[in-house]
This record gives sequence, C-alpha cells and structure tokens, in this order.
Amino acid sequence: MSGQYAVELRNVVKRYSEIVALNNVSLSITPGEIFGLLGPNGSGKSTMLKILLGLVQPDQGEVRVLGISVKEDPVGVKKLVGYSPESPHLYEFLTGVEFLDFIGDIYNMPAQEKQSRINDYLKALQLEGREGDIISSYSEGMKQKVALIAAFLHKPKLLILDEPLNALDPRSARIIKDFLHELKLQGVTTIMSTHILEIAQAVCDRIGIMYQGNLLALGNMEELRKMAALPGSGLEDVFLKLTGTSDVRAVVEELLK
Amino acid sequence: MKWRNIVYLIRVDMKSGRLLRGQKLNRYNVKRNRFTNYIIYTVAILIGLGVGYLAQLGYNAAISESAALQALFSQTYSGFLYSLPTLGLIYSLVFTMLQQIQRSTVRFTKQALFWLPITWEEHTVAAVIAEVLGLPLMIAAGIGAAVLIFSAFAGQTTLAFASVLAMIAAIIMASAITEVLRILQLRFTGAVYKSSGRAAVWVRFASSLLFFIIFYIIYFYITTGSGAATFVQTISSAQNTAWFVPFVWLGLTLSSFAGGFLLNGAVFLVLSLLFILGLIYLGVMLNKRFGLYEPPAIKISSGVYTPKTGMLGKLGFTSVESALIRKDLKAYTRRRELMTVFILPVVFLILPIMTSLNGGQTPSAGAPGGLTWFWLIYVTLFPTVLMAMSMGSFLTGEEGQSVWRIYMSPISAKSYVKSKFTFLLFFTLIILPITATAGVFLYPHSMRATVVLVLEAVFLAFSVGAMSLAIGIKGADFTELPRARMIRPEWSLINFGAVIGVAVAVLLPFLPYMLSLIIGGVPFIDLYIATAISSLIAVVLTVAFYRWAVDNAKELFAKAQV
Repeated sequence: MSGQYAVELRNVVKRYSEIVALNNVSLSITPGEIFGLLGPNGSGKSTMLKILLGLVQPDQGEVRVLGISVKEDPVGVKKLVGYSPESPHLYEFLTGVEFLDFIGDIYNMPAQEKQSRINDYLKALQLEGREGDIISSYSEGMKQKVALIAAFLHKPKLLILDEPLNALDPRSARIIKDFLHELKLQGVTTIMSTHILEIAQAVCDRIGIMYQGNLLALGNMEELRKMAALPGSGLEDVFLKLTGTSDVRAVVEELLK
Repeated sequence: MKWRNIVYLIRVDMKSGRLLRGQKLNRYNVKRNRFTNYIIYTVAILIGLGVGYLAQLGYNAAISESAALQALFSQTYSGFLYSLPTLGLIYSLVFTMLQQIQRSTVRFTKQALFWLPITWEEHTVAAVIAEVLGLPLMIAAGIGAAVLIFSAFAGQTTLAFASVLAMIAAIIMASAITEVLRILQLRFTGAVYKSSGRAAVWVRFASSLLFFIIFYIIYFYITTGSGAATFVQTISSAQNTAWFVPFVWLGLTLSSFAGGFLLNGAVFLVLSLLFILGLIYLGVMLNKRFGLYEPPAIKISSGVYTPKTGMLGKLGFTSVESALIRKDLKAYTRRRELMTVFILPVVFLILPIMTSLNGGQTPSAGAPGGLTWFWLIYVTLFPTVLMAMSMGSFLTGEEGQSVWRIYMSPISAKSYVKSKFTFLLFFTLIILPITATAGVFLYPHSMRATVVLVLEAVFLAFSVGAMSLAIGIKGADFTELPRARMIRPEWSLINFGAVIGVAVAVLLPFLPYMLSLIIGGVPFIDLYIATAISSLIAVVLTVAFYRWAVDNAKELFAKAQV
C-alpha cells in the first residue's frame, strides 16, 4: 500500500457471528476528495467508518489513513481525523463551550488558537448566547452543531461525517456544505455517509454505494449513471436500481391494500 | 380511562429492566416466557415462608411453655400486626424514593407516552401500579408469607391475613405518594434552578446531597439495629394517638375491627380508600399541570469564551489528562446519580453516631476496647475503601453513550488510566482527614494509632482504587436508561470480593499485633514495622493492578463497543 491516498482499504473483511458486515472491500480515496458513502440500513457503512477510526478491528485486510496503519497507530490516526457520529451523544452535563474546550485540550490545541476558533464557530453557527447553557437543554440541531464544531476544531486532515446535516437549519446546512468545499481546496479529505441523496449528489466528488457488506458501485455521478444504464437520471433512481430496491411502487401498493 | 392502556404501560415499565439485566431480544415475539417477571415474588415468598417457620420454631422453644410469656407475646405480636400497614407504607416510601432519585435524568422527556394517545389518568395509575410491582411488592410478599406462616402456628391467622391485605393497600398508598412527590420535585427543582442563575449547578449539588443524606438517615434509622426496634415500637404505640394522620388509618382499621369497634373500623377503612384515591387524583392533576417536563436551561457562563489556565498542567499532567480530570470533576458535581459517591463518607459517619446516640456504644477516653477499635477502624478505613471501590468501578461506565468521544479521540490507554486514577485518589484522599478527625473525636485513641490508621487508609486507597479501576474498565457498562448502570453486575460482585481480598492482604501484617491484643502479652510485631510491611504489599498490588488497568483500557479502546 502506498502513502499517496488519504484513505486506503485493501480486502477488508468484518464479520459479526454469521453476518458479514464488510465483504472483501477495497477502496482508495485521494487527498482533498469529498467522498459520499451511501447504502441501505445495515449495508456496512457505519462498520466501514468505525474501521477507519480504529474503533472496530477488521478480521482480514489492511487499512491505512493518511499513510498511517490504523492497526499499528490508532491514536496517531485519531489525531489527524475529525469525526461526527450520526447520533452525537455529548456530555450533557457540560455546557457547549465547556465541551468544545475539552475537545480542544484533547487535541492539544494552544489556548489562543482554541479560543479564537471556538468563538468563530459559535458565531458562524449561531450558538452565541447559548454556549454557556448545559447541553441537556439543547435542541437536536444545536447538539449536531456542537458535534460538527468538535470535528472541525483541530483542523483535521480527514473528516469522517455520519449524516452531518441531520437536524440542521437551512442556513447552517448551507454553511457546512460551503465550508466542506473550502476545506477541499485546502486539501482536507471528507468522507460523508448520508441517506439524503440530493446532498450526496450536490456535495460529493465520488460516491460509493454499499449493499450487504459489498462496495457495489463506485464513481462520480456520470460513472454511476452508466453502471445503472440510466443516463440523465438522478442519484435516487441510480441508487434504487443498483441496490435492487426499486420495487417501491409495488411496496406502496401493498401497503395501500 | 382504558385499563388496557394501563396494562400496556405497566408491561413497558417491567420490560425496562431488560436494559439493566442485559437481556437481548433478537426478534419480535408476542408470547414470551413470563416466568422471569414473577420469579422474584416467588423467591421472596419462599424466603418469607422459611423465616416464618424458623421464627415459629424459635417461639416454641423459648416462649410456648410459659403462659405469662405467651400472653405478653400475643399482645406484642397483635400490636405488630396492627402497625404492619403503617410500617409497610413508610418502608415502601423510603425505598421507592431512593429508587426514584437514582433514576437517570437524561432524556426522559422523550418518553413515547407524551405523544401517544394516552391520558394522564392512565399514565398516573400505571406509574403507581408499576412502582408497587417492584421492590415494595417483593418485600410485602416476603413479609406477608413470613407473617402468615408464623400466625398460622400462633393462632392469629385472620388478623394476619387482614394485616397483609392492609399492608398491600399501604404500599399502593406509598407509591401514589411517591408519584406525587416525583412530580412536585420536578416542578420545584426546575423553578429553583431557573431562579438560581449561574449558581444553579451548585444549588443542585447541595440540595441533592441534602436530599440523599436525609433519606439515608431515615433509611438507616428504620432499618438497622436498635433504631429499627425503637421505630417499630413507636409506630405500634403512637398509632392510636396519631389517628388524624392518614398514614395510620389502615392500621387503625385493623385495630378497630379486631377490638370490636366496627363503626370506627368502617370509617377508617373508607377514609383510607378515599385517601388513596385522593392521592391518585392529586397525581393526575399534578401530571396534567407539570407532567410535560422540560429540563431547565442552566446557564453556567456567558460572554465571550476565554480558556482558563488550570493547575493540573503545572503538576505535570498533559493537556489530554487535565481535560479528562476536569471533565470528570464536572460529571461528579453535576450528575445526580454520581453525586451519591459523596454521600458514602457521610453515611459511614451516621451509623456509628446513631449507634452512640441509641446507647450502643458510648465514646470513652483512654485505651480503646474491642468494640471501640471496631468503630475506630470502621470510621477511618471504611469510607476511604468504599470511596476508592465505588469511584474505581464507576469511572469508566459513567461515560455512558458519550464514550464514543473517548474512543475516537487521540487518548492513549496510559493517559486515560493516569487521569482516572488521579481523579479517584484526589476525592478518596480528600475525605480521609474528615473521617480521621471524626474517628479522633468519636473514639479517642493514641497519636500512634491515628498515624497508622491514616497511613493504612492511604495504602488501601491506592491499592483498592487501582484494582477497582481495572475491574471497572473490564466490566464497564455504558447503559444509561432507565438508570446509569456503569458496571456489569457480575463484575460488580467480582470487584466486591476482590476488594475484601486486597484489604486483607494489605492489613495482613497487623494480624500478629491484633492477636497479641486479643490473647494478651507483648505484641509479636511493632506497629510501625507492620505498617512498613503493609506499605510494601500495597505498593506491589497498586503497581500490578495499575498495569492491569492500562491493559484493560487498551482492550476497551480496541473493541470500542458502545
């Protein structure tokens, strides 16, 4: 495996008893790429993201993130990665700003830089005035904003974002999308898992579609349309055809009976 | 009000225990085996039957041959049966309130019933019955079985049967009171926090500690030693004079009927039933008014964020370690379920003080005797050991579902264990001067004994703390609802056994000294030499368990199961 990729997975297999969560998956993502990871529920997306973070050990295969072996130096990888989970369980007894201060310290940020960046993010995502309240009183959207700031705070080289725009208001969602594009220009790689296909189509350079533990399709929108033999179609139609789940009409009719 | 909805709600409440039991259900199954739901009552009844039978054997051996004693006993036992409902009510109230305050405060506003078509009447009645079906009914089943089997031999079956029925009515009354108090507590604590502003977090800390202490004092008073006996006697004798207090009406119903005062009995029976219905109605009204609880937004700081420079960096802790220690400090002063740890030393001081007040052991000057030695060691060593044990076993599981933050942050296993161990030692050793001072005042003894006891407490804090931390990491449980579990039950038991083992190992060098005190003569070993050997054992154990804790942390981070 070379060090030219931001993320490299080679023949990765992960089983949970009889369930194969990842079946011999290989994938390379270049620096500065925004990569979308799609797939139905239980297709293996979260397992793949956890393997990239060293939170789950693969049964077979090799994983390198930013040139570092995840198995050999998981802490080294985590220093360079920013992660926001699908359902961010934050420390609810801390205030928003205390949580971000904690994150800054965990990533060993200098006090001046930490202060400046926290204040900037709080202002940008309209959390000013509520940053001193304990998190248990925050709405889901506010918690999501805090989780995203925590992922961005230490200027990571790789962002792993699981449903990053969940519960965000339109203004904040737009800020995050534009911000990811700006980070891309600075060479920051983003892996984004989402079920909102319009977002994936609008934001991602390449998209990987997972299905039953396999990386079913991989490419940009044009390449995916070709694979599905659906020229000019949107990502939703392509996704449904490739995953063999395009029987939605029949299901709806069955439900209406 | 639909009783079907109430039954469904009670079933949900009974199933909430699955998370605590770690039960996994992989598929939807309508017909489940309900045996496990009812086995606790069966066990309680069997234990009760056993206790009742043994009591009857004791009665036959000690009293049955003397007519005078039999008459005296019969009178006392009747008094006990009359007061059983009142006792059941007070015990149930204390147990259910202690359970309530230990429940997780996290995310309970998301309860499905708030948006389902369930009325507040159905919700309140289900909450009261569900509360009854827990510990109170289990205890009632045990006591009821014991009383019935004993009374069958003592010839008071009818009164015993009526008394058990009244006790069950009393625990329903207690559960209704708990529901009313629960809603009032939510309403008023919310109001107090809102009006307290930035001091809210400290108001909550102080009020929660006070609440715990008051309930633990009551709990210890009515459940242990001579306090419990006094309490039972007081209830038994004061019931008639306190007839205007609704809590005793069920007991008065029994004594009135048994005494032939049928009208009085009927009046108290009706009053009791009306009181229970009134409490449930009050619960419904309060739930309608305050049931939809929104956690208060406690504001702790305002203005532009400025990072604070802490002391920990100057003491040689890295940024990561300092951040973890500060985070845990906030967790233990802001999370109600963790604040219980701070109650432990207070509880351990309450017991000997209450024993002294009850005339069990009067503090005396001069050389300590056998029992005084026990209390002295109890006051000085036990709180430290218990604090180290509790904090060590909780410090990993308390992360709850937020543990993902630890997993995916660049935190090494060594930094993690170092920060947790430092935090544990800080709090464990901070209470030592308090308990040691209490020991000096309660049970006066020599300076030599004080020095040795304080040193041993320090050795135990290190060794027990390191071991409990290692076990707490190994057996961590991140379940948060319905209450934070923190450590799996099997590892909690292992920890308890291991703490006894470590304590015995560290204190072993004192065995010859203690033997010489018991047998008499010159001590086999000098106290300071025994302390030195004990310190070596403690160092070896601390290092070994600390290393094990680091290994366990590595394993935990590698598996990262939430």
